[in-house]
Amino acid sequence: MAESSPLLQINSISKRFSAVQALDDVSLNLDAGEVVGLVGENGAGKSTLMRILAGIIPADQGSILVDSQPWYQTGVRQAMQLGISLIHQELNLAENLSVAENIFLGRQPHRGPKWLPVTNRRKMDELAVAVMDQVNLRISPRVLVSSLSIAQRQLVEIAKALSTDARILILDEPTSSLSMNEAGRLMALITRLRDEGVAILYVSHHLHEIVRLANRVVVLRDGQHVGTLNKEDISAKKMISLMVGRNVEQFYHASGHSNSTATAALEVRDYQQSRASQVINFKIQPGEIVGFAGLVGAGRTQLAHGLLGIERRWKGKVLVDGKEVHVNNPVSAIKAGLALVPEDRQRHGLLLSKSLLFNICLTVLGKLATSGWRKRKAEAGLAASMIRDLDIRTADSEQHVQTLSGGNQQKVVLAKWLATKPKVLVLDEPTRGIDIGAKSEIYRLITTLAAEGVAVMMISSEMEEIVGISDRVIVMRDGMIAGELDRAEIHEKTVLALALGATQSQNEDPS
Amino acid sequence: MTESSTPDKIQHVSRLSEVTLQVGVMFGVLTAVVMVTGWYDPNFFSAFSIRSVLRDTAIWSLFALGQAVVIISGGIDLSVGSLVCFLGVLTVVFSQSDLALPFPLVMLLIMLIAASIGVFHGLLICKLDLQPFLVTLCSLLTFRGLARVITQDRTMSFNPAELPILRELGAGIWWGIPVPVFVLVGVLVPLGLFMHFTVSGRYLFAIGSNIEAARFSGVRVNLLRTCAYALCSILAALAAILEAGDVGSIPPSSAGLAYEMYGITGAVLGGCALRGGQGSLIGVVLGMGILRVIKSSIVFLGINTYWTFAVTGIVLLAAVIIDSTIRRRRANK
Repeated sequence: MAESSPLLQINSISKRFSAVQALDDVSLNLDAGEVVGLVGENGAGKSTLMRILAGIIPADQGSILVDSQPWYQTGVRQAMQLGISLIHQELNLAENLSVAENIFLGRQPHRGPKWLPVTNRRKMDELAVAVMDQVNLRISPRVLVSSLSIAQRQLVEIAKALSTDARILILDEPTSSLSMNEAGRLMALITRLRDEGVAILYVSHHLHEIVRLANRVVVLRDGQHVGTLNKEDISAKKMISLMVGRNVEQFYHASGHSNSTATAALEVRDYQQSRASQVINFKIQPGEIVGFAGLVGAGRTQLAHGLLGIERRWKGKVLVDGKEVHVNNPVSAIKAGLALVPEDRQRHGLLLSKSLLFNICLTVLGKLATSGWRKRKAEAGLAASMIRDLDIRTADSEQHVQTLSGGNQQKVVLAKWLATKPKVLVLDEPTRGIDIGAKSEIYRLITTLAAEGVAVMMISSEMEEIVGISDRVIVMRDGMIAGELDRAEIHEKTVLALALGATQSQNEDPS
Repeated sequence: MTESSTPDKIQHVSRLSEVTLQVGVMFGVLTAVVMVTGWYDPNFFSAFSIRSVLRDTAIWSLFALGQAVVIISGGIDLSVGSLVCFLGVLTVVFSQSDLALPFPLVMLLIMLIAASIGVFHGLLICKLDLQPFLVTLCSLLTFRGLARVITQDRTMSFNPAELPILRELGAGIWWGIPVPVFVLVGVLVPLGLFMHFTVSGRYLFAIGSNIEAARFSGVRVNLLRTCAYALCSILAALAAILEAGDVGSIPPSSAGLAYEMYGITGAVLGGCALRGGQGSLIGVVLGMGILRVIKSSIVFLGINTYWTFAVTGIVLLAAVIIDSTIRRRRANK
């Protein structure tokens, strides 16, 4: 790895946004053929650094050298010409255009006179297929992006970057919406690109991916470069302690509660999502945390939505505390004592442009009111106690939730559902996209709730949290329950084996 | 992570909300236009002139308020102008000719018809998942057409002596103030209380902010949206009755023409975001005031009335630019 001069050299970069020092004297080198992991909590300055590298925003101080030539940060196009490509977490593709059109957007091969160029579709498709082959994307280049799965879209983005002859690839949370085996395939691709000589800056909250991929890890905290770990030193524990600035003793807490003698808090009998789907039966005891593992598309979110009356279901009985409840919309679900913290908190969980108070009270406005007239004092009291109990970091309850960090937003979603005093709390990917500090707080909350007797159904694609805090794990595959694991049997391997199917046959994308 | 500022008491930081800010700006614009016009020609401040401005502002504000409620809930209603015409025509038809129904019954009938049109809009939008823009665009065409068919395109007029209540509602003056102003206050106060102090009103804001999140949170989304459209149509009916009473005649091809645009403009000036979830009813009334005052100002300033639309457009654009500039400054602070 000791080359003469690195491909990309970042020297003492600083960036300030009004009162916030987003980056403070950060330096970093990146060589051809290596993967450098960039980790840090939300707000540590990772995205600022990425945006500076991609030419989206200029740095205040410091210099960037590409091939030992100073680069004066002149814009996105220049970054691309230098071979720097940033792949955003939220993919930026034009959904109504074809794969090939997306790959060559703005630089389609054309023919005809100069004053009236016409896209040369055949040539464009040929070129597209060539780069698509490089990323193992074997579909027609004429397919519309809107019909692709998220994993496939990701590959289109990478193909697009490769088609610009990217030598430096910056990946921002590339696996955050992928299932386990899709993520695995993506990592294999990254390894191959690295071997082909591409320099890769890999940003992720998924530390095990970093452990697996990175030759070196750079840790940022509060805009400062707090440490670099070399290949042999990389471990999740070390990264975490650098990121948080202290040793994280106990990251996950298994509750150990489950009293199987009591009546089940939630019982689902002969449940069928649609006429053709498999029958599902399961129980969750009060105080028990049941992890629902499986690949993306295994039917877990659908099951949760069916139980909560958000999607129609075909048939089946749902019992809460031993009594049958008829849930056919969210209103009746709340009455029955069910609550769902949805997977997509921005789309389904929050009113982003409204205050914490508005959001927290939304689920119980009617309960707090007398004959339809709001009780503002009661609302303010509820919001204040939730902000205190869940330790939501905010100036006051009037702050808009869009200004909060991901972790605090998730706490607001939890707060609004805890306000309904649920007997059964369904969590769908409860820690997606939030930083380590907030994650461990949310785990502590979940276990506290379970200790208070709430039954928790936790859908998660993060192996660490499934293994870490579940009392029992139910693994789903293709819309059915593939198996159940008791506390003692919960290991990454057993869960994965069930999720993939005993034969380990990896079929095409489940979408 | 660094400091845990646990607010023990709820802090009521007096933070100027975006909506309040916009209402302030609109109030400033309104005052400026009034002052300039009055300074140029003091006749602008004559009782007659002030009354006619107040009367029109009140009538227009009625349908603009309905529009505002729909916009706050994340929708839009383009049918308002045609409904004003159609329901105005029906008011005259029911009161006169062969039917000659008693006036209170006419009002009741008109309100019922309006409500059912609104519910119909709501059902199409919620149950068939059609776009509000398209559904109400179809109504814009349909009801204008129906009004012209019913009347054979003849202007419907009535004798004020035969319909004293209608005349009084539209053109009457109590204690020196036009009657429509009282009607407006009678609508504005309960509607304001409803939007800000009841659960359902709060839910309408929630639906406009994020309809999916509202649905997940147990808000009866479809019921409330349908109510918003019904309310909008009912307020259009009220405006139609007052306008008929004021003018005394309804030309089916031009009555209420472009009122939906006035309503939307007023709502936006009053702080309603077209993406929904935000707005102030007082602001809407101020917005309509601006529209109406500009119309008068053009006459008083001796500008050719052909200029009305152009000047209105330019002043509105200026108002919107001022507002967004202030907002950007605040955001950067």
